[in-house]
Amino acid sequence: MPTETEEVSDAEVLARYPTTTIDQDNKEFYKGWLGRRLLLNRCAACGHWHHPPAPLCPQCWSRDVVPTEVSGRGTVHLLIRLHQGPPAPGVDYTKGPYPVVSVELAEQSGLRFTSTVVNCPPEELRIGLPVALTWIDRAGAPFPVFEPAHDKTAQE
Amino acid sequence: MARNPIKDQVAIVGVGSTGFTRHGGRTPASLATEAATAAILDAGLTARDIDGVVSTGEPGAPPPQQLAAMLGLTDVTHYPRSTSVVMFALIDAMNAVFSGSADTVLVYNPVLRLPWNSRSASQDPFRRHFSTGGAGGIPESMSMAVAYTAWASRYLYEYGGTREDFGLVTVNARSNGTRNPLATLRGPITMDDYLRARMIREPFCMLDMDIPTDGADAFVVTTTERARDLARPPVLIHAATTGTAACLAEDQLADLAHHGQHVVAKSLQAKSDLWLSDVDVFLPYDGFTIITLGWVENLGWCGPGEAGGFLRQHWDEATNRVLINGCIPMNPHGGALAEGATRGSGYVREAVQQLRGDAADRQVAGATTALVTSGGFFFNSQGLVLRAG
Repeated sequence: MPTETEEVSDAEVLARYPTTTIDQDNKEFYKGWLGRRLLLNRCAACGHWHHPPAPLCPQCWSRDVVPTEVSGRGTVHLLIRLHQGPPAPGVDYTKGPYPVVSVELAEQSGLRFTSTVVNCPPEELRIGLPVALTWIDRAGAPFPVFEPAHDKTAQE
Repeated sequence: MARNPIKDQVAIVGVGSTGFTRHGGRTPASLATEAATAAILDAGLTARDIDGVVSTGEPGAPPPQQLAAMLGLTDVTHYPRSTSVVMFALIDAMNAVFSGSADTVLVYNPVLRLPWNSRSASQDPFRRHFSTGGAGGIPESMSMAVAYTAWASRYLYEYGGTREDFGLVTVNARSNGTRNPLATLRGPITMDDYLRARMIREPFCMLDMDIPTDGADAFVVTTTERARDLARPPVLIHAATTGTAACLAEDQLADLAHHGQHVVAKSLQAKSDLWLSDVDVFLPYDGFTIITLGWVENLGWCGPGEAGGFLRQHWDEATNRVLINGCIPMNPHGGALAEGATRGSGYVREAVQQLRGDAADRQVAGATTALVTSGGFFFNSQGLVLRAG
């Protein structure tokens, strides 16, 4: 069954994320972004997930690694607040510290994805907070972020 | 006991340093050649004696063949591509001597303030070719330097510590830096100073991070047999290792109990006849304060999460610093937080000076064993046991 990402050409993903390092091993990951789907590599042989994308499974050395959509649910595992940092569209450090989190995803212990958290009062953001994936627009292209998990998306 | 046929067979016989400063405008080549010539002369040797040259991969560092040419070395047989930080270079040199690739190897490490990590450097037009460097990337990243802040946040969460635990590392370093004439920062600070410092990447403030600086260290390494005939007391490389645990990226690190420091601690202890009860001088990396707490715990001075309590228990109020069991200083040269970001070479130099009895008013009386653990959690953990020859 064709997936949404197969409709995105190599040229398009390179054009839409012009400052991102994209190669043959991670292009499906970024093509997923254009369809607002977070695709992480999962081993078709042993089921182990890994990130960032590598050309083989670190667990069993199978090269049959398949970019696979994750639920986007998880909990904040690492949390920092940048009082200064690299410039990015929509990021204004003068408005207050900018949060960056690594979220431990529900799919596998130790599988994490790093981004920011939106729609969350600073005092409620903490390690251990359940969060869910959502998308913002950055420089005209989708960018994955997290927000506090509401009841409908809370972890089982 | 692990296989370690090189044990005590190779010695550090010369050291040289420019000292470290946030002022001035010199090139890495200028700094490296000053440290290199000082180290060779310190060993009582000349250009004719050096047949191996090994460099760290610091920005702007002249590659080994270029530095060899600047020094007029005419018969060089070992000059690999620049390696990572200091212990990688030192281990390469040690292996080259032991294998016979070279007899006497120069190791050098020039460091530089860069436009992206130093305001003063950004105003030096002769550094414009270093323009962006590590300042690139997006905010939503836990890689490189940011990773230590990230895992520091996890450390506080898991063990219920406070920022004061980190602050103890900085106060210790700055107290020690007052006695090091090579140090970038020579003024002491209090815990209140630490707690008032500007927040950068919360939970880390300005004073949790090493000081960008300019300077160079160099070492001369040869066989222990030859070292016995040279000018200075030899310092023997008893055991050395590097270590990394499977980690595709810093945010994917399994946890605080399984990383490069654990690989190093296990490997180094297995190779060494000497361990914590033998150590006279302890030199753990402090490029970020969390790294030091990690070394204190992961080498076995105390248990996981206990480093803050350990430092308080072994705090010497009179000198406002750590003295383990009342006698073992931690980074008596001030580490990266006071001496400056030498990326490891300062710790090795201080160990050599202590073991030769050359450390002036920092000298640990009768020091014969030094434990140097450089690098952090992810890709560059390093360990070294040195003993007086």
